[in-house]
Amino acid sequence: MITRRMDGLLDVEAAAELCALVDSAGPGSDPLLIDLSECTGFETVALAMLVQALMEARNRGADVTTTGAQAELASRIESLTRDAADYRKPAKPGGFRHGMIQIGEKVDSMLMTLKGLAVFASGTFRAVARIRTNPRLLRVRQTLYYMEQAGVDAVPIIAILCWLLGVVLGFQAGYQLKNFAAETFMPDLIAYSMTWEIGPLLAAVMVAGRSGSAFAAELGTMKVRQETDALTVMGMDIWSYLVTPKMLALMVVMPFLVLLADFFGLLGGLLIGGWYLDMPAHVYISRLALVVIPMDIWWGMLKSLVYAVIISNVGCYMGMRVRGGAAEVGRATTSAVVTSIFLVIVADAIISLIFVFIRPTVTV
Amino acid sequence: MSAGGVLMETVRLTGGYEGRKVLDNVSMKVHMGEILVIVGRSGCGKSTLMNHLLGLVKPWSGEVLFEGADIWSDSAALARARRRWGVLFQSGALLGSLTLIENVMLPLEEFTDLSPAFRMSVAMDSLGKVGLDRFADAYPLEVSGGMQKRAGLARAMSLDPDVLFFDEPSAGLDPVTSAGLDDLILTINRLSGTTMVIVTHELPSIFAISDRVVMLDSSTHGIIAEGTAEQLRDSNDDDRVEAFFRRRAPGDDGGQDVS
Repeated sequence: MITRRMDGLLDVEAAAELCALVDSAGPGSDPLLIDLSECTGFETVALAMLVQALMEARNRGADVTTTGAQAELASRIESLTRDAADYRKPAKPGGFRHGMIQIGEKVDSMLMTLKGLAVFASGTFRAVARIRTNPRLLRVRQTLYYMEQAGVDAVPIIAILCWLLGVVLGFQAGYQLKNFAAETFMPDLIAYSMTWEIGPLLAAVMVAGRSGSAFAAELGTMKVRQETDALTVMGMDIWSYLVTPKMLALMVVMPFLVLLADFFGLLGGLLIGGWYLDMPAHVYISRLALVVIPMDIWWGMLKSLVYAVIISNVGCYMGMRVRGGAAEVGRATTSAVVTSIFLVIVADAIISLIFVFIRPTVTV
Repeated sequence: MSAGGVLMETVRLTGGYEGRKVLDNVSMKVHMGEILVIVGRSGCGKSTLMNHLLGLVKPWSGEVLFEGADIWSDSAALARARRRWGVLFQSGALLGSLTLIENVMLPLEEFTDLSPAFRMSVAMDSLGKVGLDRFADAYPLEVSGGMQKRAGLARAMSLDPDVLFFDEPSAGLDPVTSAGLDDLILTINRLSGTTMVIVTHELPSIFAISDRVVMLDSSTHGIIAEGTAEQLRDSNDDDRVEAFFRRRAPGDDGGQDVS
């Protein structure tokens, strides 16, 4: 039998030495006895390391034992051994029933979110209505600030993206239409897709990503730091202070961002028309003038107002319902972007259907 | 707890933020096993000193020695030292997405090879020491501020650190909870001999737990007094020290005796 005596404090270094010895013990090796009678104290982690090594060695069939442990040490060894033996990995829920419950909960949560959002948006509209009776509630400075943040600062990214998209769309349309010698219709395709759908939708997606998330993070952080409570107890109308400036700012800038998106998208088509299809600029432009009617442009701008209402309300709502800490703010930001884009696309589908029915047919 | 040799030391430490000097030539020692309390009025540089000690904010000049190695010139020494430190931040700094037991298990997962069963057992033991074993599965937001601090302490203690740092442990706590935390700090120090460095300006806590007190002042950007809390209160000629320990405005003859 090999006997190893442990003197003094059982710290991590001492435990590591003992563990190495215990780990070397196997089924056929000499019995190992660890004498803890001179052990004056122990660190919890060190003792856990030793007990873990002892249990693993015993499971391998090694003959390892401890002796001489004083009352507190012996009791801790016993409790560690018992805890380890009793430990059961937390069961991961699974199965069909659990899956169905989860789907139900998700749907329920989504419906509750939509309901909450509707109530919140009604509050926003009431706050806007209050501005009519009390113009002081119109926070001009804040509105201008958010107009700059959401509008002016978004110009470069929207311009570049839409231009690139115009180039890609023009190239792909030209590539297909060439097969039918119909490349002269490329401007029609670019014009309709940019002004009806891509321009407004891309602007909305960019604004949701940039500003909707920023609104959620700003209000979420304010909630966490109790700033919104402070405003409330000061008797301020937090809707008109925090929410309506954001919504009004988006409603002002979004139509212009859509106009910008349309313009740069068409510019991208112009470039690819000249480069890939040898289409002179004046041909491309005159074709646009033939197929695009003013309604195509202003309808896109008009529906961007709906998007502005959706993005600002969703962003603010997600921020205002934050409870807790930093992780919640992150979740609110993600939810704001995902929900905004989802609702924007739903709204777009409805508005586009209406548009198809009311737009006069253009015969060229 | 009787103090042993020098465990940690600052040597002519000068530092601050963005060109604003907060500490100037601060030299002090932390002895093994003692409870050193760093005190001073708001803005005197207590937290800055703590940040330099913890290796969070680089000092402009000077050294922070842990067992003789400068943590600011040797990143390996800082990494080694951090394995042997535990820190309780002012807010508890628990991760909100994890339960209390998961918070306490975090350093065990990161720095030990213990299996989940043993990690759980050690973490429960740590939580038991601070009286929170019944709340192991609660999230930080579901427990009170005092409980969050105790859970933060359990996390700080989970790797049996040689030094425990506390940043304003009593901040935001009611007197009873605060006294309970003081008792806990004393018990841990007495039972395990863990060295403790505590930043606070709570007079009752200072008198209850400190072995030695270092007082900083913004007028000199450095240490203006050092000794036991009673020495600083009763036998110090410096008006700033007396004002602090008698809890009165400087130059005022009145004040309260807090001990």
